Amino acid sequence: MTTANSGPLPAGTAPTAGAVPVRRPTLGAYRQLWVSLRAFGVFFLLWWGLHWWNGNPLQLPSPIKVLEALWVLLREGEIAEHALVSTLRMLVALSLAIAVAVPLGFLMGLSKRAEQCIDPLVEMLRPISGIAWLPLALFIFGVGDTLPVFIMFYVGFFPILLNTVAGVRQTDARLLAAARTMGVGRGPLLLYVLVPSALPTVMVGIRLAFAASWAAIVAAELIGSPSGLGFAIEWYRQLLMTPKVFAFILAIGVVGYLCDMGLRGLQRRLTPWAEGTGVSS
Amino acid sequence: MNPTTFDKRTSVLIRHLALPVLLVVAWQIWASTLPAGSPAPAPLKVLQTLGDLLSAGSLLSATVQSLGRVVLGFAVASGLGIALGLMMGSSSAVRENLDPIIESFRPIAPMAILPIAILWLGTGTPTALAIVAYASFFPVLVNTVHGVSRVDRKLVLAARTMGISRWTVLTRVVLPGALPSILLGTRLAMGVAWTAIIAAELAVGAKSGGGGSGGIGQMMFVFYAYNIDLNAIVVCMAVVGVVALLIDQLFRLVEKRLIPWRH
Repeated sequence: MTTANSGPLPAGTAPTAGAVPVRRPTLGAYRQLWVSLRAFGVFFLLWWGLHWWNGNPLQLPSPIKVLEALWVLLREGEIAEHALVSTLRMLVALSLAIAVAVPLGFLMGLSKRAEQCIDPLVEMLRPISGIAWLPLALFIFGVGDTLPVFIMFYVGFFPILLNTVAGVRQTDARLLAAARTMGVGRGPLLLYVLVPSALPTVMVGIRLAFAASWAAIVAAELIGSPSGLGFAIEWYRQLLMTPKVFAFILAIGVVGYLCDMGLRGLQRRLTPWAEGTGVSS
Repeated sequence: MNPTTFDKRTSVLIRHLALPVLLVVAWQIWASTLPAGSPAPAPLKVLQTLGDLLSAGSLLSATVQSLGRVVLGFAVASGLGIALGLMMGSSSAVRENLDPIIESFRPIAPMAILPIAILWLGTGTPTALAIVAYASFFPVLVNTVHGVSRVDRKLVLAARTMGISRWTVLTRVVLPGALPSILLGTRLAMGVAWTAIIAAELAVGAKSGGGGSGGIGQMMFVFYAYNIDLNAIVVCMAVVGVVALLIDQLFRLVEKRLIPWRH
């Protein structure tokens, strides 16, 4: 989509040969905005209609009430507080996962023997979802900060590991051979050939890991934590303050989206040479 | 076979088994040093509990109940997802209008919807179904749209030029063209659905005080909160893993059967 505008082609010319040039040159962005606004307008109207038809504000509050609750929660800093707690936990868990999984992935990608030793264990644990660890982890760690961090670490570990192994394997054999022929030592080979070659795939793994662990944090906090966004949702449900429940759900979506945007930016910054890494999950 | 390949194979096999066996043995030794009344799980006790639960039949019935919910919710979601995906993929007007809504719901995790589902549908099977359906809807939809957009435009135009109706083009050209991507979507969706059902059953159990919705997640919660038995929890975890593995293998088999030209 965006590549059509960034090329040397004049604005409004379709990049495919033989296609009829599109007639609205500068209106593109405005039109997209207008379409989104219209879609959300219809969505809110439908919501309102359902709200009237249902007639029970405890089950489905009106959109106005939800926006009001969102405003109040934002002004009083409650959303920021819980979002900060959740984001910090996620950062800790992801950094731990990266710190463990990336070196292990390099080891497994480089040494056949290491891979034969570690891979069976990974394949045994991987099908057990992070959520299924919750009851056991509750016993081991109790309710608190460690439990969500552990669950997110576990969930994020596998995508990063698998992508690192795949990235190391994908390294062009000719590049390796060329470097070796020129007498490049093991350290520089790792640093200047293998790492740059594997990094794009690793970054994709990190984004996948983020998506998975952000989905898991809600479950972990819902059940086993006295703070965080997941906890807040459940707390207000028990108090039957439905508008606030909706507001926090919205907050989870927005924070998740923002973090993913941040990771995408990081991806572009760190690996500008990567092409086509925009893998949809 | 000559002895060298045989040696090679056994050494590979030994390497495969070394770490898991070592860990299990270490776990058993660690467990045997604990005092007798300790609740910590141990491999031998886990096996014993597995035997007990299997012979009582409760493990099997709980697994079947969870699987039934997953299949039902998944069927609803993939029906909706494929239909909507085909529409969004083949008409840019539909896609433009629905994309903003879909994209703003996609980052919201299924578990975040759970409190609302409990408010609307109670703590029984409908809630679990809703969570499963919500979780598996997006992978199917996104992959279907992607698959349709990858179908060769020339094939569609050629078929249309020859006067074939839109419906026939959809079922005979677009659908087979998008099938690999759709099947990938359903496989991902089924994996997500199985995770979501465990989470939903677990959380429903945790938040409604064991309000009896059944399933393997609920079973785990009962073993956590009421009759405390960590061995049984480990058994449940193993079952969750095995079922996830089987589901994945089944879908890969179906993929191989339905799209042999890909393999």
